[in-house]
Amino acid sequence: MTALLDIRDLRLGFRTLAGQIDVLHGIDLAIRAGEQVALVGESGSGKSVTARIILGLLQETRSARVSGRVGFDGRDVMMMSPKERAALRGIEMSMIFQDPTSSLNPTFTIERQFAEVMRRPDRKLTRAACRERAARMLDEVSIPDTGRVLDAYPFQLSGGMNQRVMIAMALANNPKLLLADEPGTALDVSVQAQTLDLMRDLVTRHGTSVLFISHNMGVVREFADRIYVIYRGRIVEEGPTPAVFADPGHAYTRALLKAVPRITGRGLPDVPEVSDDFFDPMVRHGGTS
Amino acid sequence: MTLLRVSDLSRTFQTANGPVHAVRNVSFDVQRGECLAVVGESGSGKTTLANMILGILTSSSGDIAFKGTPLPAKRTPAQRRAIQFVQQNPLSSLNPKRSVGASVRLGLDTYGIGDRADRTRRVEAALESVGLPGDMRRRAPAALSGGQRQRVGIARALVCEPELLVLDEPTSALDVLVQARVLRLLNDLRRDRGLTYIFITHDLAVVRNVADRVAVFRAGELVEIGSTEAIFSSPDHAYTRRLIGAMPVVDDTELDLRNRLAEGT
Repeated sequence: MTALLDIRDLRLGFRTLAGQIDVLHGIDLAIRAGEQVALVGESGSGKSVTARIILGLLQETRSARVSGRVGFDGRDVMMMSPKERAALRGIEMSMIFQDPTSSLNPTFTIERQFAEVMRRPDRKLTRAACRERAARMLDEVSIPDTGRVLDAYPFQLSGGMNQRVMIAMALANNPKLLLADEPGTALDVSVQAQTLDLMRDLVTRHGTSVLFISHNMGVVREFADRIYVIYRGRIVEEGPTPAVFADPGHAYTRALLKAVPRITGRGLPDVPEVSDDFFDPMVRHGGTS
Repeated sequence: MTLLRVSDLSRTFQTANGPVHAVRNVSFDVQRGECLAVVGESGSGKTTLANMILGILTSSSGDIAFKGTPLPAKRTPAQRRAIQFVQQNPLSSLNPKRSVGASVRLGLDTYGIGDRADRTRRVEAALESVGLPGDMRRRAPAALSGGQRQRVGIARALVCEPELLVLDEPTSALDVLVQARVLRLLNDLRRDRGLTYIFITHDLAVVRNVADRVAVFRAGELVEIGSTEAIFSSPDHAYTRRLIGAMPVVDDTELDLRNRLAEGT
């Protein structure tokens, strides 16, 4: 089984005046074509930097020391030149960020921002062709009245609408891999639920692989086929979503699940913020390749 | 005993596009010692309501009575001291240039509580009551973790010895393991000190585990109010059911309950 994304022994450190700070301690992570995988962890665990390395962005930060292999579609992102990496972004792989409104440019209309994305692989695309394709993409994320939205500026649209625009834009060039960093966290729960459903439908239809980065166990449970749990730069547990939720093997995963308040109301659990066994070796659930 | 009574309270903002009714004819009571959760999505009026209760914002009409006395537009120091605020974002709500101790002390200085030595003692006691070492008062907020900062935010409110705390999303910026501990702390403090909470949040799972009663707001109106037990066994309003239906859940018992409540069966 060849994976679309195949990360091996990924390490990241930042050089500071006080010496090197290690952030990732040898991460292995793979995503097959069409698979929806979640990377779950708390703030500072290394989830977002992992996405930035996959996108080839952190490699260009001077203070960052990155090593390991980031296999993507048979090639190693780590061995590419900055130019080759830039050519992947927005075309072969794209990203959706947490806050849709602040990640869209407030000074351009939605149409213009779409055109910018769609002209990356094809610079000669005409304005009419861009508009037509953008309208089709917006239609796919269930946006009514696509003409009005295309002519609008992001601040004229609601957060939920902007999130859909972001999803449509991220998928406009039909990327093989979508990186979604806490999508919808800035939105109301009902809007978040809707947009996640939409995103799930869309990636399933397009066969897009997804790396879904989140701290929210509930959201992950609904979205992902498979889960990696990350704690302080180490993957502590990996497995199919139902298996991890039914039988969490690592002390950290168990604490994380126990700490989530339930609507069935079982009171507030007594969980430690840190514990020695959170550093136990990784637990892998069977049945995965 | 009724600690706070909100009667027919409204607040309208004048905007370029005409008036916006942020809070509309809202009435409810808060009993001493209870935790009333205020839930709703963005734009529901939660924060406007909180600001009026805190006296940061005046109402357009209606009134707020505290221990039987209507609160005037310009409140006395004693009235302000009795109702304190815990904010959502512990990073942006603490002045980065002030030491932790100076931030916590602010209320004591403002209301003229105690003398110099006494204030330091009170600051240390407040920090200790939220599970932080007293000498943390010398540190800068930047040196603290998110959970520690939120504890400082709670200490800052507690140092004034309030009767009512208005908590605006106090744990939604925190990691789940940290959230669990801060929620437990808030529960313990309420029990031990006989505090009353107005707990504003959009997280119904948190509400289920901390609140005695729940008030559901939508577009500035109070659409449903009832005991937590009742809201989570038979929510009356379609909007409440929709909110519950959108909650991400982590286990099957929860999933069953959520789906049952969302369908209203």
